[in-house]
Formats: sequence, structure tokens, C-alpha cells
Amino acid sequence: MTPPGAGRLPSADEPLDDDDFGLLSGIRELFEATDPMPPDLPERIRFMVALRDLEIEVARLADEGQLAVAARGPEQSRTITFDSDSLTIMIRIDANKDGTVRIDGWLAPSQRREIEMKTTADSLAATSDEQGRFAFPRVPRGTAQLVVKPAEPGPSGAGRSVVTPALIL
Amino acid sequence: MAADDRRAATVQESRPERSARLAGLIRAARQGDEDALGQIVTELSPLLWQVARVAGLNSGDAEDVLQTVWLRLVAHLDDIHDSAALTGWLVTTAKREAWRVRALGRRQLPTDRELFAELPDEGPGSEEQVIVDEQRQALWVAIGRLPKRCQDLLRIIAFAPRPDYAAVAAALGMRVGSIGPTRGRCLAKLRALLAADAAGDPL
Repeated sequence: MTPPGAGRLPSADEPLDDDDFGLLSGIRELFEATDPMPPDLPERIRFMVALRDLEIEVARLADEGQLAVAARGPEQSRTITFDSDSLTIMIRIDANKDGTVRIDGWLAPSQRREIEMKTTADSLAATSDEQGRFAFPRVPRGTAQLVVKPAEPGPSGAGRSVVTPALIL
Repeated sequence: MAADDRRAATVQESRPERSARLAGLIRAARQGDEDALGQIVTELSPLLWQVARVAGLNSGDAEDVLQTVWLRLVAHLDDIHDSAALTGWLVTTAKREAWRVRALGRRQLPTDRELFAELPDEGPGSEEQVIVDEQRQALWVAIGRLPKRCQDLLRIIAFAPRPDYAAVAAALGMRVGSIGPTRGRCLAKLRALLAADAAGDPL
């Protein structure tokens, strides 16, 4: 990032030269200093894209909120809604006394599906009932991700897994 | 540090080497190789972070955008076969996803980014450090004087792999007069500003 010497001004039509590359790496350093990406973000994303099945439908974060639970005093539940083309997934996260969390979820439209909760330790498994309800009673805190397994092959062929972004529990 | 090694590798690698390596990683990822996909994530996430931040998203929303973009890539791996197509697809998708999140206004963000306010002060240093700091300061001031679209373009390009500059500029909708293989108007303007500054002319 040495300032280019005085004299002829560089033209826009010339090929990029070493001074240009030097300036660009200077710009990169400036923004790495002033607006750094969270250093652990690539690691979280690597966890999230490590999927056995690449035939997926992406569920996006649609809504996130806090739900005051009167019976639990100041304790609050977190609620998160994810939307994909075919499915809405709503979950409620409550703290357990032992340091884990309980997750209650609903699928809409309601249907029976196998659901995997990926965690940094083992994966947990559950199945939703006909009303689309499912629960993971004890999930370790940390990074987790929901994978709703494909529905039984129907007239439209085999379905896809619906996958959420990584959650921080 | 790993990040420095990686950058050094990117700089030293020739265009065909890098393109071949990335094409190989894409192929492996399509076969279900998690580590190959992970390497692509580590290499290109900083670029996508800048795309999301330039769109005006706060950190939380920018993280959400990156997650969605990478998941969508998994679903689209079959359609992407080379490095330029990969980088272009990622930048286009990140830009669209950032706009979508911003339009939702889920979490309101301050519109005035504190960009170009103050560089972090790293305290007094050696004589060489003072010179480096002065150069950084001059570069910072000069970038701040560029038109907004040039600031955004250069900021994003600075994080892009060198062979893919043109693909990134195109993905940002800045094909005309843009960077790669030529210098483009924004870098030419930046160099003119720095030259004027070095010559002691008022900027």
C-alpha cells in the first residue's frame, strides 16, 4: 500500500498492476480491523453444512421472540419460527434445571416426520405426531440444528430434508 | 496464524492453480465431502460478510444471511462447476438475501454506519509503524472520499479471490467500467486521490 508515485495518473483502462493489488490488500486489512467477521462464524457454518443428505430445502429464520412464562417467574422462553417452501417450523426453548434445554416444536402443515437435532455432541432423534408436535426434552447447550427428514415418498416423488440454520442454545 | 497462511496461499497461487483447486473442492463437496465444503466456507465467508455489511445489515442479520446463503449453496451444488461461477453465485445470493432481510426490517438497523469515523488507535509504535499508520490513514481518508458505490465495490473486491474480480463485480451489477482485468474507474480514482495527497495537494 505504498502511495503510487506522482507523475502520470493511472488510467482505468489499463490492466491491474502490483500497486492496485497492494491497495486492495491494504483495503482488506482496514476492513478486517474495523468490521471483522465474527471469528467463530465459519466454524458454525461448517457445522451447519455438514449434512449427510444434500437434497435439502432451506428453512429461513422468520421470527424470533421472547415469551414471558408466568409460572416460571423471571424465566423466559425463546420462540423461533423458521419458514421453508413446504414447511413452517416453530420451536420454543426452555431452560432445564440441569443446564440443558427443552425444545418443544410444531410443524405446519401438521404431519408426522422424523426429526433430527444435530448438536456438537451426538445427534438426537424425535418424531412429530399427527398434530405436528415434537419435543426434545434435554438438549445440551451450544450450537444445534434441526433437520426434518423427508416425508414418505408420495405422488410427487421422494421429498427433501428441511434444514434450519444453526441455533445457539 | 491460519488466516495469514491462507491469504499468502491465495496471493501466491496462480489463477489456473486456484481455479483448479476450487473446482476440485466443489466436485468433492458434491460427492458429500464435508471437509471440502468446509474449506470453501472458510475461504469465502469473509467476502460474503462484507457483502452483507455493505448492504447495511447489523451483525446478527449478516450472520443469518451467511447461514442461509451457505445452506442454499448445498441445495445448488449440482448447478455450480467452476470457481468464478461459485464466487459469482455466492455474492449474488448474499446480496439478494441481504436485501430480503433488510426489507423485512426484522431488526431495525442504524442507517448511518460508523464507517470512516475513526480508525482504531493502536497506540504509539516504532518509526516504521508510524509510517505504516500514516499510509493506512491516508488510504482510509481517500476511500472515504470516493463515491459510495466505489467504496462498496472496492471493499468487497478486496476480499474476493483475484481471478474472480470480474465475476464479483458482475454479481454486484457493476460490469461497466469495473475491475478485472482492467483497473476500472474506482481504483483509478482512488490512486488519483492518493497521488494528490502524496504530492501535498489539497484533496
